[in-house]
Amino acid sequence: MSTKPELVKLIDTTLCTACRGCQVACKQWNEMPGLRTKQVGTYQNPPDLQWNTWTLMRFQEYRDDDGKFQWLFRKDGCMHCTDAACVKVCPSGALYHTPLKTVGIRRDKCIGCKECIAACPFDVPRHDAATDKVYKCDLCYSRIEQSVPPACVKSCITKALTIGPKDAMIKKAYARVAELGGDANVYGDKFVGGTHVIYVLQYKPEVYDELPVNPKVPLSVIVWKDLLKPLSLLTAGAAAAGVFIHYITHGPKTPHDDGQEQKGGE
Amino acid sequence: MKKGYVQVTDSYERIIHWTMAISCLLLCLTGLGMMFQSFNFIGYLFGGLKNLKLVHNFTGLIFAVSLLMAIRMWWKEAGVFVFPEDMDWIRAAGGYLWHVDKVPETGKYNPGQKAFFLVVAVFGVIMIITGLIMWFPTALPVALVRWMYPLHVLGFVAIFTFFFVHLYLGTIGNPGSVQAMFSGWMDKKVLTMLHPKWVKEMEHEGKLVAWGEEKKSDAHGHSA
Repeated sequence: MSTKPELVKLIDTTLCTACRGCQVACKQWNEMPGLRTKQVGTYQNPPDLQWNTWTLMRFQEYRDDDGKFQWLFRKDGCMHCTDAACVKVCPSGALYHTPLKTVGIRRDKCIGCKECIAACPFDVPRHDAATDKVYKCDLCYSRIEQSVPPACVKSCITKALTIGPKDAMIKKAYARVAELGGDANVYGDKFVGGTHVIYVLQYKPEVYDELPVNPKVPLSVIVWKDLLKPLSLLTAGAAAAGVFIHYITHGPKTPHDDGQEQKGGE
Repeated sequence: MKKGYVQVTDSYERIIHWTMAISCLLLCLTGLGMMFQSFNFIGYLFGGLKNLKLVHNFTGLIFAVSLLMAIRMWWKEAGVFVFPEDMDWIRAAGGYLWHVDKVPETGKYNPGQKAFFLVVAVFGVIMIITGLIMWFPTALPVALVRWMYPLHVLGFVAIFTFFFVHLYLGTIGNPGSVQAMFSGWMDKKVLTMLHPKWVKEMEHEGKLVAWGEEKKSDAHGHSA
């Protein structure tokens, strides 16, 4: 297993036609139900990621600087961070880094604490009240560990979705960006230790709905997990050791026979 | 009980103290089980980590109620420092750390006890607020919710650290004092050593209840 390369899924938004084949294939492979939603005047359906919708095609109407109208499509879902805040905060080990460096989820271990939901810089994990568990894309771990592409990639008819070894995919992304020119850019390789899902975007990241410009592991998570968590055992241990040393060197306070205060031996 | 003992707590105080103490320790235990993956095994005691989380959450409610009652009960006596006498005691570290010929006398609670009470009161309230938000984290903006977690751990750092000092000073560090939280009666000699001014005050006001000569009154004004 360790011989397998680190994988990256590339989403070239400029090739996407928003057919939503990936969205359906994802549900099919992962046996997630479709829940009834309301038509609110957009093809984007459901309106957001859900516990049963791990990947979502976002439809965005955009007018560029020249007033030219464009329909932007972006496949949203887990970015599979190298420095994954969700893995860092998960108390039970339900969220973990797979040998392929993607972020897997062992649902049987999930205790429904929702700490990952607050920690994720991309707002990806979703909680289902009925099972009290969290759901998200696991990049079809059961498929990729068998060297089969994820369901979304398999279903993509325009090759907007491709998967392969990390270095090769990043190279491919930059080659595509050079070809596109303008504001086109690669999104994902430069933050949170590099994501294992990267985008080729036609416009600057700030143009896209729900896409953080500079995602990072929240400072609160670093203070919590890297500072206060070890400090708790350190200070408690110091206090326990301190009182023990006090007892064996200073001794307890005991009253004198004449009622005057006296200290134990020193 | 025996002759020479005086009453220092009433049953209401002791019930609140132990409700708070036991729930607090259970919260520390279950909290540790979730905070460190290497302590996940604590979950086995509760039939799994998910049950441990439930026990933690609902014990938190018991702790919350007992803490609020404790604050209401003890705030006047233990929540407010009185100067300059408390400062003199602090300068002498209560006679606990180096030799002091005569430990400055303070009221019912000395500044060390007050400090522990205040730590539990202030950080306890922080624990309740942050804990409730962590229980329902999707109800509030994520930027706010994110800081609840480090605050909750900060409260744990403070309370859990002070707990060991409290445990020591309330038991083997001050022999005879632990009875205050079990029977409610303490040897007057020990009490006079630890709280001379309080004994004088109670004697002066005729409130000191000695063994064998109880005045059946509400000695400390804490009846529920």
